[in-house]
Amino acid sequence: MIRLENVSKTYKGDVTALRDADVNIEKGEFVFLVGPSGSGKSTFLRLLNREEVPDDGRVFVAGKDIGQLSPWKVPYLRRNIGSVFQDFKLLTNKTVTENVAFALEVIGRPRQVIKTQVPAILDLVGLSSKAGNFPHELSGGEQQRVSIARAFVNRPLILLADEPTGNLDPATSVGIMRLLERINKTGTTVVMATHDRGIVDTMRKRVIELDRGAIVRDQARGVYQ
Amino acid sequence: MALRLDYVARETGSNLFRNITITLASVMTVAVSLALVGASLMLRSGVEDATARWQGGIEFIVFLNPEATPDQVDAVRGDLEEDPQVASHTFVDQQAAFEEFKELFGDSPEMVESVTPEILPPSFRVVPTEKDAEVVSALTDQYQTKPGVKEVVSATDTIRLVQNLSEKLTVGMFLVAVFLLGAAGLLILNTIRMAMYARRREIEVMKLVGATNWFIRVPFMVEGLIQGVLGAALAIGAVAVFRPFFDNLLPPPEEFPIFSNFVPDSADMLVIYLLLAFGGCVVGTVGAGVAVTRFLDV
Repeated sequence: MIRLENVSKTYKGDVTALRDADVNIEKGEFVFLVGPSGSGKSTFLRLLNREEVPDDGRVFVAGKDIGQLSPWKVPYLRRNIGSVFQDFKLLTNKTVTENVAFALEVIGRPRQVIKTQVPAILDLVGLSSKAGNFPHELSGGEQQRVSIARAFVNRPLILLADEPTGNLDPATSVGIMRLLERINKTGTTVVMATHDRGIVDTMRKRVIELDRGAIVRDQARGVYQ
Repeated sequence: MALRLDYVARETGSNLFRNITITLASVMTVAVSLALVGASLMLRSGVEDATARWQGGIEFIVFLNPEATPDQVDAVRGDLEEDPQVASHTFVDQQAAFEEFKELFGDSPEMVESVTPEILPPSFRVVPTEKDAEVVSALTDQYQTKPGVKEVVSATDTIRLVQNLSEKLTVGMFLVAVFLLGAAGLLILNTIRMAMYARRREIEVMKLVGATNWFIRVPFMVEGLIQGVLGAALAIGAVAVFRPFFDNLLPPPEEFPIFSNFVPDSADMLVIYLLLAFGGCVVGTVGAGVAVTRFLDV
């Protein structure tokens, strides 16, 4: 599903974000990216939905070399990739329903599809009772559920999560992780960057550790260390 | 992928009203500059109509009798060709004179119907080597008496003054209008930029979930276009209101016959209106286009 071949990425001022990375992630896997701040986790994720292009090497997503993708095709790549962030990125002037519907609306989905899909996904993330609320009326955990609903409503092949529990307390984080695990069980590949030792150690999924841009460990059923 | 009309309408509408003061500023600047363009085009078209016979340095016209014999015409032509004081001359035959008459009185079909080419005088349009009033006057007298000549008419000071003044006015108004149009374009660009800034979070999410670039751009382009078109509509209204006023402002035709045809006819006005509408669309689209390509990193 995802393959990185000798990928390197350097930002201006000789900041090496990723160095000679070689990774292969199968469909339906759940992968943790761990490592200190600045080790290249976010760059790893940003390369997958082509917010960045590699300086060297090749990135394949669903069999396509996305470094070669012409710019007008990038939106269609992103329709197959859901993204979740630490800061949720919800639209404050829209309700829960509108936030999720927005993701379908702007890719031109018919109104009928939106009408059936949005309540279904809100039910899945357990927020049916808050459908009409605005983000500021929700707790952090609930806001993150809305953002996951938005990322998953189009049933993407891949879900990228950049420290989704970074702003949440441990109990709430456990709920979010259960949700991501459920999404993973539907066949969606999940790649999650995290600092949360407790989560990584209890879930025992594949762990890829980065240090100053290099992959220093790739371990099945791993721990945080 | 089909752009949904209701989506574009909703987004464009909310953008237009979010920065209503800036939007109004752009619309008014477009309107003022295009109204100036319209007024200068109208002035130019009016002066051209009124002085059509006096373009390109022509100082006097030798009108021949409609029934002048070919020999008489040739004699006058020979004299003009040999005259060292004549730089050039053109012959306007009866058919060409009729065409000119039709153009001059395009707004009065009854006048045109009452005239046939046969009753109009053919003429020589003469450009002398020197434009000195005394030289022209002496030449005029000289040709007045030749056989077959009906009348010799020279350009009056009024005509020269009007041509001169209108030329300067047209150029001046055009320059001011171009500057104002540039300002209008920049204002529209900044309005769009502000609209994009206000919606930067929406744009970020749209990019993230895979909205196409055109889907993101179109509401902003439409917003710029609407500002340009609204400005053009105001300018066209202003020019239309200004037109009869323009007529009254000038001295009555009985005193200065040259002004009788000064107000442009409807066909000219239609061209001017279309040009203004086109100008509005261009300014709006270019302003918004530059804004979306430069500030919308999609």
